[in-house]
Amino acid sequence: MADDFKAARPLEYYRKFLEKDVRPDGRELGEFRPTILNIGCISTAEGSALVKLGNTTVMCGIKAELATPKTEEPSNGYLVPNVELSPLCSPMFRPGPPGEQAQVLSHFVNEVLDRSGCIRKEDLCIQTEKLVWVLYCDILCLDYDGNVADACILSLLAALKSTRLPAVKYNEETEKPETDSAKLEPLHILSNPVSSTFAIFDDRLMFVDPTVKEESLTTGTVTIVTNDNDLCIVQKPGGSPLTADQINTCFERAFSRSKEVLRLIDETLHSIER
Amino acid sequence: MAGIELLSDQGFRIDGRKPKELRRIQCRLGVFKQADGSAYIEQGNTKVLAAVYGPHETAGGRGKALHDKVLVNCQYSMATFSTGERKRRPRGDRKSKEMTMHLQQTFNAAIMTSLYPRSQIDIYVEVLQSDGGNYCASVNAATLALIDAGIPMKDYVCACSASFVKDCPIVDINYLEESSGGPELIVATLPKSSQIVFLEMNSRLHEDNLSKVLDVAVKGTKDVYQVLDNAVRDHISEVAAFHKLDQS
Repeated sequence: MADDFKAARPLEYYRKFLEKDVRPDGRELGEFRPTILNIGCISTAEGSALVKLGNTTVMCGIKAELATPKTEEPSNGYLVPNVELSPLCSPMFRPGPPGEQAQVLSHFVNEVLDRSGCIRKEDLCIQTEKLVWVLYCDILCLDYDGNVADACILSLLAALKSTRLPAVKYNEETEKPETDSAKLEPLHILSNPVSSTFAIFDDRLMFVDPTVKEESLTTGTVTIVTNDNDLCIVQKPGGSPLTADQINTCFERAFSRSKEVLRLIDETLHSIER
Repeated sequence: MAGIELLSDQGFRIDGRKPKELRRIQCRLGVFKQADGSAYIEQGNTKVLAAVYGPHETAGGRGKALHDKVLVNCQYSMATFSTGERKRRPRGDRKSKEMTMHLQQTFNAAIMTSLYPRSQIDIYVEVLQSDGGNYCASVNAATLALIDAGIPMKDYVCACSASFVKDCPIVDINYLEESSGGPELIVATLPKSSQIVFLEMNSRLHEDNLSKVLDVAVKGTKDVYQVLDNAVRDHISEVAAFHKLDQS
């Protein structure tokens, strides 16, 4: 009976639950799905992380390459993020070139890397005008169950934190790089961007971390990226209008989420080192 | 050969295996919720994910539909971070296209295609980390995913590779052994009926030795079958126990 009701009137079904301040999967409105983090799972990558946010699964692998810098920025390395939503992760996506959503997500990840300044591009320089690191941050969605943006940022941060680059020196005489793969150095991560997504339901109710089902019923979303104790990015692409009070509550929840996530990353990193 | 000894005088391979020893296989079924069937397999350092969607209506109009059997659509893709050098294109290069075609041919032979006319089954394979034997791991993963999706097949499809070094056939070769220039034989079988559905060999091998290499490869597929079958049975009993709990 409940299943029929859910299939025929999904919106009514959700309303009945939300009246009691609870969601059909048993979560409260401000509750994220259980987050599982696995760091360093791919040994062919310089850094990697797998994130599960409920059923949403995202993997990030970081590959480093050497390149010559641009002439206008001779001492800057490159950070190249890319998000892939392959047909493997959901029947919504078709094979072929990256769709709109994947491109928007890639741009969002790029924006987060740029604006948060978590990695200084100057740190990726080996020899000005000659040799810099390129970090390819490839993020692969394996199972799409909503809120991929938050999972992407979390996997990216965790993968960057686990990245170890070999020591490279530039030989001026031969003009060739000399690699010492025995010496591995971690990246300098200057800050910790964490993203939190809120969904707006029926123009007034708000809840965090929507699943794919919830995403299809919402009337708008807000994505907030915090950078330690600062705000980094706030995105509210149209949808239902909100009051300043509602936005403020979101900010508070985003900062508390940031603390939860950073604790999770630290614990996972510690458990690997041991 | 390029200075590395693939088989030591004591009869051990580079990674410490005996010539007829498989790499450790770890696998899990039903890893994802969105897909109708999914599986993850690790064969040594090769890690592969497979997802199956369908049977469903053919995508992109009726034109592609086959009137007497199901259309098996495969996509093989390698994550850009799966290899030592970064891959520029995860799919669409010649090698992936060839692999996609091989998978399609393999599973066309194993799935009971005539049961679902005018429909489509999608098999998506993603190599997350590659250390040789990508085709074999992909076939094994896809088999598990098809079983998880409940799609009728004639039998499991199990694949295994083999090579020939120093007058000795070696089974389930890794990347170093694959790239050393020796012969590489890949075979996929239906283990219960001992039928070969796919066989590929490259590089030079004396014909007298072919049967030896083929024998170890086929033996390898039977060993793989044992491991996969155990994994399926474990998974089913787990699911069944969970459902019983649910009902009581």
